[in-house]
Amino acid sequence: MVAFTGAFVALQMPDAVRIAALLAFVLSGYLAGRILARRPSTVLLTLYLTGLTAAFVVLKRYSFLELVLPSTWIGKAIDLVGLSFVFFRQIHFVVDVKQGAITQTSIASYLCYQLNPFTLLAGPIQRYPYFHEDWQRLTPLPADGHGLRMAYLRILLGTIQVAFVAEACLWLASTPIPQLGPLWRPLSFYLFPAYVYFNFAGYCDIVIAGASLFGMRVPENFDRPYLARDMIEFWTRWHRTLSFWIRDYIFTPIYLAIGRRRPGLAGQLVFACYFLTLFLAGIWHGASWNFVVFGVLNGLGVSAAKLWETWLRRRRGRRPSGPWGTTAARVATFHFVCLTMQFLRPGSIDNLIEWSGRLRDWSVHLVTG
Amino acid sequence: MNSLLAEVTGVIRDLFEDDQITVTESTRAPDVEGWDSLMHLNIIIAVEQRYAIRFSTAEIARLKEPGQNVGSLLDAIRSKTRTSS
Repeated sequence: MVAFTGAFVALQMPDAVRIAALLAFVLSGYLAGRILARRPSTVLLTLYLTGLTAAFVVLKRYSFLELVLPSTWIGKAIDLVGLSFVFFRQIHFVVDVKQGAITQTSIASYLCYQLNPFTLLAGPIQRYPYFHEDWQRLTPLPADGHGLRMAYLRILLGTIQVAFVAEACLWLASTPIPQLGPLWRPLSFYLFPAYVYFNFAGYCDIVIAGASLFGMRVPENFDRPYLARDMIEFWTRWHRTLSFWIRDYIFTPIYLAIGRRRPGLAGQLVFACYFLTLFLAGIWHGASWNFVVFGVLNGLGVSAAKLWETWLRRRRGRRPSGPWGTTAARVATFHFVCLTMQFLRPGSIDNLIEWSGRLRDWSVHLVTG
Repeated sequence: MNSLLAEVTGVIRDLFEDDQITVTESTRAPDVEGWDSLMHLNIIIAVEQRYAIRFSTAEIARLKEPGQNVGSLLDAIRSKTRTSS
């Protein structure tokens, strides 16, 4: 496993400087964990997390850095594969070590956990205790021939989703088709989110089934996300390991800090907590401004969903919605999700500026005649 | 109903503002309409204040995992009140 992991990392980054930088980033987490295990200091944890986050922001070259740092400095940051996911796994590790939830570690298992070929590039975000437990035995999970065939079938279906279905959706969403005329643009609105789903869910099928052949339980990441009734539910069905991570390491600490000290304020500030949490999750996806818009929209969507739920509960109690209400909620949520996903497309900010200009011109024309 | 379960049931009813809610040790969050992650945190905060205990982030997350139920919460409360006394 160690050799496989090392070979995989070397293939992804055939550059000694990048490998050394990634190892330094990862090993800092293990070192911090060893120190925090002996001395579980909140100050030390805060200092480490602040430094780690600063390093992450610089290495990812976030666009807002242009406002505060010279571009020559930003340009010197090196690309590290899988950094976003390493970052989140690192925070989970040091926080849980400090809180005493992780007590058994080894440098080999930590390195292989962070650089696991099955989760390095795009998750799922696995929790260290489950990886370490599997690391102790590493026997293939499929118990019989049937299990083995199901694993291979899942890899095959995942490959078909990624290589064919997703690519077809992306091509159709990106290439105007004259025969479709004005229908192409609305079709593209739905096809791009379809591409994102098949690409990511298909990848997860491959890595989850592949990891099981090596004896590793990688958590599921999708649960029919486009059936969600609101944006809060959407994020429990889409990229679930990310959602649970941001729930446990961003939302929960912030909300507990408010709820424990000022319980009366928690009910009002919870909407800000939801917005902040999903905004951070949004900008984690990427460094450019379109991801800021993606984050803002998701933050607004989730906090609006909570407001709506609170209002409905006050009006009709805890009665669940009927079938028509559920269907309407699913359709509305699906369309809002499709809207947010348009900002995962390259050039989406330029499109937004262009549409805003056209809307302004149309409004002026309407008023002036 | 044991006394701890009765007390925690009272906490849950207060938070849900619904005296009709009935929970047992095998009740899980999905069994109660509206018991989402936020309500889970509100229950944790209320229980912490009532019993003068504190849960870590990892403990709170573990209590929300599939398979955990009200009985798991009661066990955690008993463990923490034994430790602190």
